[in-house]
Amino acid sequence: MNLFTLFLSALLINNVILSKFIGMCPFLGVSTKLSSAIGMGVAVIFVIFGASVLSWALYYYALVPLELQYMKLICFILLIAAFVQFVEMFIKKNSPSLYKSLGIYLPLITTNCAVLYVALDNVTQKYNLIETMVNSIAVSAGFMLVLVIFATIRERLAASDVPEAWKGNPIAFVVAAIMAIAFSAFAGLV
Amino acid sequence: MNILFAILIAGALVGLNVWLYAANKKTPVPEGCENLKPDCRGCGITDCSLRAKVENREEAK
Repeated sequence: MNLFTLFLSALLINNVILSKFIGMCPFLGVSTKLSSAIGMGVAVIFVIFGASVLSWALYYYALVPLELQYMKLICFILLIAAFVQFVEMFIKKNSPSLYKSLGIYLPLITTNCAVLYVALDNVTQKYNLIETMVNSIAVSAGFMLVLVIFATIRERLAASDVPEAWKGNPIAFVVAAIMAIAFSAFAGLV
Repeated sequence: MNILFAILIAGALVGLNVWLYAANKKTPVPEGCENLKPDCRGCGITDCSLRAKVENREEAK
């Protein structure tokens, strides 16, 4: 598959949140403030990219030669958890400023199912390393794009005159549904 | 034989997790980040461990 098509498809057409409905928890949870959404989005891009490359290597260099493909789920979960711990420790030691902005969000990413989805999708689709890297960047960038757009809408909603029964999550779900419809129009792009 | 490799790989990954968790806990938090706390007003995840820590700290005050 053309790398540009793969990127565009993962970013907009098959958007991880609005098309696959994966990662809904942080999408609704960490989207009431723009600054939180940006912090979470950057941390997710970093972790998804690293975890995808590592899990791809583990799958093709250890699980496939030993015919242990059935272990990919448990192995990827453990690998993602270990990677998040390592990233947090590395940032603590080497970049206090980065830790200040991302450190809070890193433990939350361990339980973000989008990370596991990308790792599993890369091996299910039989992507090579370059395709894995492009797909993981595109999926996580799509996650951040939608999270940031949604956060800006919710910040404006907070200042709007929303009926009492619709305040909070109900209006957020309606907005998410409208966004999903809007994003479905990208389907004809590729 | 394959079962043995499966146990070894899973064991190694669990060991790696435990070791990294312990190492992460031991790593000192950078200066100026000691009282870093999440802005839980911006989050709807109510059963998060970070949120519980912040709420407990506020209750203690």
